[in-house]
Amino acid sequence: MPRTPDIAGLQAAPALWSLATLQSRMATALLAADDAGRELPAALFAGALPGAEGLRVHRNTVLGGLSNALRQTYPAVDRLVGEAFFDRMAVEFSRVHLPRAPQLGSWGKGFADFIDGFPGTGNLPYLRALAQFDARFDELARCVPDERHAGVAVPLHGELNLYFTAGLVVHSSSYPVAALREAILADDALALAAIDLACGEQHFAMWRAAAGVMLQPLGAAAAGYLRALLDGGTSEAALATVLAAGESPEAEVAAQLQQDILQARFVRVATHNNAVMGAGQ
Amino acid sequence: MTRLSDSSPIPARAGIGLRLPHQSMVATERPAAAWFEVHPENYMADEAALVELEQVRAHYPLSLHAVGLSLGSAAGVDLAHVARLRALSERLAPGLISDHLSWSMANGQFLPDLLPLPYTGEALAIVCRNVEQVQQALGRRLLIENPSTYLCYAAADMTEAEFLAAVVQRTGCGVLLDINNIYVSARNQRRDAHEVLMHWSQALDRRSVGEMHLAGHAVVATADGAELRIDDHGDRVCADVWSLYEAAIADFGVLPTLLEWDTRLPDFTVLQDEAQRAQHLQDDFTLMARARTGRVDFRNPGHAAHA
Repeated sequence: MPRTPDIAGLQAAPALWSLATLQSRMATALLAADDAGRELPAALFAGALPGAEGLRVHRNTVLGGLSNALRQTYPAVDRLVGEAFFDRMAVEFSRVHLPRAPQLGSWGKGFADFIDGFPGTGNLPYLRALAQFDARFDELARCVPDERHAGVAVPLHGELNLYFTAGLVVHSSSYPVAALREAILADDALALAAIDLACGEQHFAMWRAAAGVMLQPLGAAAAGYLRALLDGGTSEAALATVLAAGESPEAEVAAQLQQDILQARFVRVATHNNAVMGAGQ
Repeated sequence: MTRLSDSSPIPARAGIGLRLPHQSMVATERPAAAWFEVHPENYMADEAALVELEQVRAHYPLSLHAVGLSLGSAAGVDLAHVARLRALSERLAPGLISDHLSWSMANGQFLPDLLPLPYTGEALAIVCRNVEQVQQALGRRLLIENPSTYLCYAAADMTEAEFLAAVVQRTGCGVLLDINNIYVSARNQRRDAHEVLMHWSQALDRRSVGEMHLAGHAVVATADGAELRIDDHGDRVCADVWSLYEAAIADFGVLPTLLEWDTRLPDFTVLQDEAQRAQHLQDDFTLMARARTGRVDFRNPGHAAHA
């Protein structure tokens, strides 16, 4: 086969390393934080561009790709701290928690814990809680909407069943994360400044509907009851757990369960032969 | 869930790379497009997006363009990832499946980039082993794309084109010829892109090329002020790449051609506009080819071209 002379300028230098060694060392060099660790022998490379320049392009692509993957999962954190600071946190996280597989959408679960107390974030005590809330939103957004409440079914009073939406979760936080996230994503500095960070523990039911990720505030008793049901407990056991906690009088618990759960959109109450009794939808 | 038993072949027309921000609109409004291509890794942990993609697939031919097989990894391919790709393939029945002549896994970790291989005999054996393993697991032929390169290894027994031609010859895989990547790599190595393309057409069996890619790229300066082209898929296709594409059609014929756009994603109509430009070049070539063989009346070319 004729070879264009310009193309044929192969130097055919002996390989310095086996392919396995080359790949291992290049991966290490691409992720190194210090200049010394980033260097590879100049004799490894040929061509018009210096090897260090090519490595710089690949390093930017690798670290930028990881940072952008985290940005997709943690949009409120990104908006709150700004792109450059987010990249700093993301790059440091990536260097110690690299993905093991190419589907980056499911990578980065430890990011919330990693950025808790990250240097420079002392004035954002809720950063970890906000990241956990971002991750919960992202996880639910990837679920298929369940408009038929095809998830957990719980027998209630012998004759009835509670049918919960698939993927329904209870999220609790020490900070008002829903209000924080909404204000941050809306770029509403006034609303953000007005949020009372000491408002106490917040509970939410979260699920995926056709319109997107849905959120409903829950009272503490309703959250405890629902969490116990979703963990596989019976209605009776869940109720006993909530009452034993003794945080609310029985009448208040009953009212909360009626309002926060039996009338919620994430539940359908039906007889065992599936006749709908109202509620939910 | 829609289950598709037959794969629709990808037409020899200009298709569009489908990205998640456009997907809902495409699923509901069904805009004009000959076919779509997606990155399967974006759907492996996102059931909601996958269900929506099935709605798209019900109305358009679809190609899966993987970025995570790491066909050049000395440690071998990740069989769990291959199984995920196979599951997607069974669900979506794509017309084509492709990945790159590159590596991205090392030390048990994934680096989101298409890292370059040295074109040596050792690397050739490894790539062939990996490609054969993937093709066997998928039960079908892969297309392998030439990546953009920013590094050249001193140890090289063959050119990139010769290397890929050897992989094709040994494994029976096909080639996805990325015209923008040929241009970017050539310019970064201070070579003439048309000469490089000529070398590709000499090295490859024309029948092995099953698809072409087009994309925009960025031009930046290195630390010492030299020109550096970055394949960022963030702009319209530049004039030089359109010219190279015309030459590639002349060399390899009219093939399924994809318009890729990944960063700074514009309105979908911009992608349609770019795809239409590629389609016009394909149509012009077909028309001229028919004229040369006497199958068209130039007094009424449009009618004949679509006959």
